[in-house]
Amino acid sequence: MGLVSVQTLKEIVGAENAKDDKADLYVYGSDSSVHQAMPWVVVRPHTIEEVQNIMRYANPRLIPVIARGAGSGMSGQAVPIKGGIIMDLKKMNKILEINLEDTFVRVEPGVVDDDLNRALKPHNVFYPPAPASSRIATIGGEIANNASGVRSVKYGAVRDSVLGMKVVMANGDLIHLGAKTRVEATGYQIDRLMVGSEGTLGIIVEATLKFVPIPKYRCLGIAKFNKLGDAGNAISEIMSSGIILSMLELMDNIAIKAVNQALDLGLPDVEAILMFEADGMAKEGVDVEVKRMMEICKKHKGFGLELSYDAKERTRIFSGRKKLFPSLSRYKEGYVCTSLADDMAVPYSKMAEMAKMIHEIAKRNNVIMTAYGHCGSGCMHTKILMDPTKEAQWEDAKRAVFEIYNFVRSVGGTTSAEHGIGISKAPAFKREKHESLELMRALKKALDPNNILNPGKLMDAPDDWVTATKLRYTVKLEGK
Amino acid sequence: MKVKYIKDWENELNICIRCAYCFEGCPVFKELGWEIDGARGKLIVVYGLLTGELEPSEYIAEKLFQCTFCRDCVERCSADISVPDIMGAIRADLFDAGYSYDSHKELTKKIENSGNIFGNELKVPVFEGDKAVLLGCRLVERKEDSEKYLTILEKLGVKTKTFNESCCGMPFAVLGDKKGFKTQQDKFIETLPDKNEEFICACTTCVFFIRAKYPDLKAKYIIDEIVERLPDYKGKLKKLNIKVTYHDPCNVARGMDMVDEPRMLLKEIGAELIEMPTNGKQAECCGGGGGLLVSDDKLAEKLAEKRVEQAIKTGAEILTTLCPTCEFNLKNAVEKLGGKIEVKNLLDLLYESMM
Ligand SMILES: Cc1cc2nc3c(=O)[nH]c(=O)nc-3n(C[C@H](O)[C@H](O)[C@H](O)COP(=O)(O)OP(=O)(O)OC[C@H]3O[C@@H](n4cnc5c(N)ncnc54)[C@H](O)[C@@H]3O)c2cc1C
Ligand code: SF4
Ligand code: SF4
Repeated sequence: MGLVSVQTLKEIVGAENAKDDKADLYVYGSDSSVHQAMPWVVVRPHTIEEVQNIMRYANPRLIPVIARGAGSGMSGQAVPIKGGIIMDLKKMNKILEINLEDTFVRVEPGVVDDDLNRALKPHNVFYPPAPASSRIATIGGEIANNASGVRSVKYGAVRDSVLGMKVVMANGDLIHLGAKTRVEATGYQIDRLMVGSEGTLGIIVEATLKFVPIPKYRCLGIAKFNKLGDAGNAISEIMSSGIILSMLELMDNIAIKAVNQALDLGLPDVEAILMFEADGMAKEGVDVEVKRMMEICKKHKGFGLELSYDAKERTRIFSGRKKLFPSLSRYKEGYVCTSLADDMAVPYSKMAEMAKMIHEIAKRNNVIMTAYGHCGSGCMHTKILMDPTKEAQWEDAKRAVFEIYNFVRSVGGTTSAEHGIGISKAPAFKREKHESLELMRALKKALDPNNILNPGKLMDAPDDWVTATKLRYTVKLEGK
Repeated sequence: MKVKYIKDWENELNICIRCAYCFEGCPVFKELGWEIDGARGKLIVVYGLLTGELEPSEYIAEKLFQCTFCRDCVERCSADISVPDIMGAIRADLFDAGYSYDSHKELTKKIENSGNIFGNELKVPVFEGDKAVLLGCRLVERKEDSEKYLTILEKLGVKTKTFNESCCGMPFAVLGDKKGFKTQQDKFIETLPDKNEEFICACTTCVFFIRAKYPDLKAKYIIDEIVERLPDYKGKLKKLNIKVTYHDPCNVARGMDMVDEPRMLLKEIGAELIEMPTNGKQAECCGGGGGLLVSDDKLAEKLAEKRVEQAIKTGAEILTTLCPTCEFNLKNAVEKLGGKIEVKNLLDLLYESMM
């Protein structure tokens, strides 16, 4: 249990907002990654002052503090690798201000993305990063991960929507970062540093976010390709031709097969499907963009082209992509869907090659991998489908992950486009960013000298992700 | 803890990707707010019990009995995990390990002694046609209402036949008493007039449960029967001109995929429907399922109050639903909140429109 006094924490947050039952700790030791570790206590602050007091208590005692939103991170970011206090921020969930005149919104960190958008909708505006997990992801978690989504090609990642924030530092001090204005050139952009910091530099206790008008028209298209390479060429040309698009999604043959297997959607047995979308306030403008994308797809041997402005029809066209997750989970008896090497970004011209490489690497390492992703923002997703109870499969997965990232680096790509680093991606991240690791450590030391904020992550995470923590699965040792 | 039933679910527990999508609509999580209260948290605890990393405790039992089997999590799940089935299995293991509340035992004893959840000798209204109709404990207890619902069927041309029915055994199953369930299952089948013949089932919970646990029986939901026969009766329905809001019972909307039919019926009888913000497959649970009424009546009451508050906000005069347990729970909540809306079974409204 370390040195933590639950009693003191109860005095800070109220008895009903601190827990140390083993069952609760076990639950809070996990997220959507393969990792698991036990915290010592879980607290639920409701105010900034409570957050400050928790930090003032933990800092001199060197007790780790791990901020937590929904715990939907896929790389173990919220897993308490060194124990400590889990700070569950879901109860700090008030929308503090919707300022239509100055087009910003102020929120507490536990506000769920979709709840924010529900509140903005009557004003015909939206907060656009839209990660697939927006139904449960908290704004704090999104900022700390620099989340993004299918429409980030047009609207950017979370970092592009953040104007400012309030942060509680390791010693309990409260600082204001950024501004309420669209532009700011006042020295170090420390708010930017907090974006993607995965809870290692400070606790985000309030965020000022910008919003944009909801487009009046949205048109979704779909094209099928017999060759993955053709789809790749279409992606490159679409992205380099100046088209203003709001989405460009790829599904490879494994993803298609998975969806067909699980649901009777009748997707064609092709090597790749591309889905593309343009949106805007004027229909003519949207027409121009989608038609150009359609022409490019045709030029690269795309067929079965469909376009739709109708919301219901768009949902139908997109349903295969939406159902991909459950489908992958059921791809093969005894296999599970793990988030490993799952969200790299590569240059547009390398997307098709990346997809092909994923298949080759999977094959030679006895795992199943699929390639799909937000090609518009250069993000390639994959999942490793494997039998998690077999020790040898973890060795297979480890090799596959290593090879994937070697390729990503060789083409000038990056380890993570949106799901963050945490524990599982730290080894690859450290290889990619080897020149700046010491700078990162120096920054961390300056802001958190006692190393209590989510320690053991990013540059300080173990070099072997498989043994970094206990795995959430029970691995049987008999071999393959 | 020695686990038996949960072992069959190990693979499903592995398949869960722990995404937390199931937090979004879980009524228990929304009310209590700790991660252990949502489906993901519960499944992690179950996994801990399976692997022996966690030992059972009163607290764990409390948490695992705080689930209404509402299937909201199933509806939103990234991996199609059937959480209520897993809850059923772990509750059976907990039961075998001695984790059963006095309130559970009281309920199951009543069924053992009387064949119904009330523990009284209940008289089924006598209808002597040829189509068997199972009313379910809650409707048998409401004799007048049962007569009305049977009359609806009669008016639509069904020659109904009632029988001295016994509980379908659902409470045993949800509370983890496998042995008790087996015994009750035999009694239930014994009382059926003909186990090879299709019968109509008036209770939403019974019909959903029977379909899941008695794969050989042919239970037809009363609403399906009504919807099939109504076109011939349409002209004779009186328009009621009432403002209603409809609470989708979990077993109906999510369990049996029935969202449009009740709305269509409301339209036929001239009821103006004002929807609550969550409806259809996303409808919030009233808290009455999964044995919560006997495991944690305070929580069940709280969830019902929340639902009633949503109903009142619509401005409707009647909160209608189809499930007798929802009706019971919602009525209690309405009373507690000062009776600002009337709770009525949709079948009652249909009956009024037929008369
Ligand atoms: C099925 C699924 C789909 C997903 N799809 C996407 C996607 O399309 N795009 C995408 O970007 N991500 C996606 N994710 C990943 C994840 O949902 C997002 O990164 C999300 O932003 C995490 O938010 P959270 O509230 O769950 O954060 P958590 O997982 O709770 O925390 C993540 C990290 O943020 C830190 N943190 C949380 N709150 C704060 C705070 N207030 N202050 C400081 N640090 C904090 C934590 O310490 C941790 O390091 C997906 C995840 C799942 C399971
Ligand atoms: S939604 Fe399904 S897969 Fe995701 S955590 Fe809940 S039960 Fe598991
Ligand atoms: S069945 Fe309902 S109450 Fe139970 S975990 Fe799922 S959503 Fe929550």
